[in-house]
Amino acid sequence: MRIKEQPIEAVLFLCASFSIIILLLMLLFVAREGALALSKFGANFIIGQIWDTNANLYGAFPLIYSSLMVALGALTIAIPLGLGTSIFIAEILPFSLRDPIKAIIELLASIPSVIYGFIGIIFLAPLIASVFGLFSGATALTASIVLAIMSVPTIVGVSGEIISAVPKDYKEASFALGATKWQTIRNVVLPISKSGMLAGVMLGFGRAVGETVAVLMVAGNVARIPMPFYNVLAPVYPITSVIAMQMGEAAVGSLEYSALFGLGLILFIFTFIVNTLADVVVRRERKTGGAKK
Amino acid sequence: MTTKTKETIFFVALGVPTVICLLAFFWVLYLLSSGIGTLNWTLLTTSALKGGIFEMIVGTIYLLLGAAGVAGPIGVLAAVYLVEYAPSGRITRIIDQAINNLAGVPSIVIGLFGYTFFSRQLGLGVSLAAGWLTLSLMMLPIVIRGTEEALKMVPPSFKEAALALGTTKWRAISATSIPAAAPGIVTSVILGIARVAGETAAILFTSCVLITRGLPKSPFEPVMALAYNLFVQIVALGEPAQRVFGTALVLFLIVASFAIVAIILRTYYRRRQPWLR
Amino acid sequence: MAKVDIKELNVWFKENHVLKDVSLAIKEHAVTAVMGPSGCGKTTLIRAINRMNEIIGGSRTSGAVYLDGKNVYDEDTNVYELRRKVGMVFQKPNPFPKSIFENVAFGPKIHKIANGKKLDEIVEESLRGGALWDEVKDRLNDSAFSLSGGQQQRLCIARALAVEPEVILMDEPCSALDPAATAKIEALIRELSEKYTVIIVTHNLQQAARVSDFTAFMYMGKLVEYGDTTSVFENPKSELTEKYITGKFG
Repeated sequence: MRIKEQPIEAVLFLCASFSIIILLLMLLFVAREGALALSKFGANFIIGQIWDTNANLYGAFPLIYSSLMVALGALTIAIPLGLGTSIFIAEILPFSLRDPIKAIIELLASIPSVIYGFIGIIFLAPLIASVFGLFSGATALTASIVLAIMSVPTIVGVSGEIISAVPKDYKEASFALGATKWQTIRNVVLPISKSGMLAGVMLGFGRAVGETVAVLMVAGNVARIPMPFYNVLAPVYPITSVIAMQMGEAAVGSLEYSALFGLGLILFIFTFIVNTLADVVVRRERKTGGAKK
Repeated sequence: MTTKTKETIFFVALGVPTVICLLAFFWVLYLLSSGIGTLNWTLLTTSALKGGIFEMIVGTIYLLLGAAGVAGPIGVLAAVYLVEYAPSGRITRIIDQAINNLAGVPSIVIGLFGYTFFSRQLGLGVSLAAGWLTLSLMMLPIVIRGTEEALKMVPPSFKEAALALGTTKWRAISATSIPAAAPGIVTSVILGIARVAGETAAILFTSCVLITRGLPKSPFEPVMALAYNLFVQIVALGEPAQRVFGTALVLFLIVASFAIVAIILRTYYRRRQPWLR
Repeated sequence: MAKVDIKELNVWFKENHVLKDVSLAIKEHAVTAVMGPSGCGKTTLIRAINRMNEIIGGSRTSGAVYLDGKNVYDEDTNVYELRRKVGMVFQKPNPFPKSIFENVAFGPKIHKIANGKKLDEIVEESLRGGALWDEVKDRLNDSAFSLSGGQQQRLCIARALAVEPEVILMDEPCSALDPAATAKIEALIRELSEKYTVIIVTHNLQQAARVSDFTAFMYMGKLVEYGDTTSVFENPKSELTEKYITGKFG
């Protein structure tokens, strides 16, 4: 009977290692397809400023810039909104209302991105165009707002978990000393939640950079760095949009095809680094057990 | 300023973001509901060749079921390993991190990988099967994490009772822990489905085409899907708003139903399992 | 006048009637022990004094608790000021995940009692009051978790002292500690009663006898007996009390 256990454990181990195997395969295959473009342009692939399919020139800097700009903008809006909401839900809302509101937010999180993009195009873009007097409402700002609405539920969920995880012993001690709810949150709950929040922000950033469909529909899709660099009302072309838009027409094996895979590789490595860093932050927090100076 | 006033300011200040979020949600719902007028039974059951969305709905369901069929078993077994067998150490930590990393890979990159590996390398082409495999990659972390949590909540005494009777470890787990965790496992699969139902980028090049002649007769044929069609309708075709609204609403309803079912299941089973907290 | 005068106090948690018509007058500058079997309501009783029962949802209170003649349940009571005046030490030591200094300084900062140098003085004084100063004076910036269980509890006492309370509530403060640490804290409690009014909940009969001047015995939410410790232990008026003291239950 004992002999039978080993193959079973091996199968289970295989299933568990699936993730590692897939990640390795991903790296391998995406890099393989992107090798052509990467070797042709070298470092210029990343810092080159011209992305022109017709001229077969592939410098991804404006695309990288666009992705970062849109993501940062989205987080700037979503984090205060999401954090404020989650504190409100966790600490102020009466118990009976908590679950229904959390359910609503979870529902918000499950709305497909294509629908957010749809709303962006039909309602938000014209709104932005008329408010700012633009010809087209497809701008970095529009993309950031749509992305922010999409990110808020995740941020509320993650920070809500972190805040609830703060042991109630600490809160009781604080109240017993005469502190108000706000004082307790500010001086006890939030400092304890710091690393969890940081990890959450990093993950949110990774996700924002990786979002494809919604930003594609409203970002404008022009491969140029906005003038001036902080002009959120200019159209931008995030990496994900480029891949989605141009894959359909790229001939397999062509330089364009390879360039798109090169972009995929950049995305893959970027989110890999962000996720690993977030893991490190969480792990370090666990080791010190929350004991801080 | 008295402490009481400060507290009130604080409450109000935090209430603002919450209200904004709720407003945003209802705004989205309201916008979507304006598409209700376009929905009728004919639209849902007519073939796309004649202006309906029948194949897209069925195609989406095919994709989801198949992906769940792949991600479900693998995910559950992986979680069982992590919770019941894995020694604490380097390799386990690496596996754990890999799962988190897989969850964080952008969907378009998964789509690229799916295309070059499943469609081209494995020769599946643009097909339902390629879609299953690609989407399962996105469902996998959700199923694994959900199953892990469900398993961890099962009191060890169940398993120990079985072991004390002389069964093998696997027997004990499959007879006690897994069934006890079943509601949680089902919930996480449903959540995974909800997550993937609206997914466009991953199936963009791996399984979908704009129009097919009827439903796919084998997994090796391409398929139509709601999210994909919606995307193309808006971006490439500039379709009349009516049909787009209808498609968007159907997609939303499908996803929302899965999500709601998952939430209800979770609450219902939390009450029915007396050993939970 | 009693320092804390409890009159016909009733507390409900959801449907549970936890405290039934409890009336009790606590003397100033003395140690009063509240004892009784598990579930008799002793923790709820002291938490009613600093209104900590309200932190948990679903509680309802009727009756009055007078602190220096004023009912703490009045509409115009500042509950935060109340909790400054009535300090609390919990069963399981719960120092904040901050440094030793930051733990003690927390209260004064919140209530804006002091800053800068005055704060340093208050921290030192409180740590002395908690019989902990000599052991930590060279490592005030170390994490509170670097202390032993007994030291952490004394830190919590010092933390409560830092806001200059008048009453100190202790909920089974030694139950998580070893005998040596317990002895230190019991000695500290006797010292504290010179400046403060101490009310200690304990399920340890010997501790109640050792440490307190007055003892209240509670059973199933009701106050069964209350008097000076010697009388209660040597000459209990109620049969129930006698049974409890001689170990026939609880």
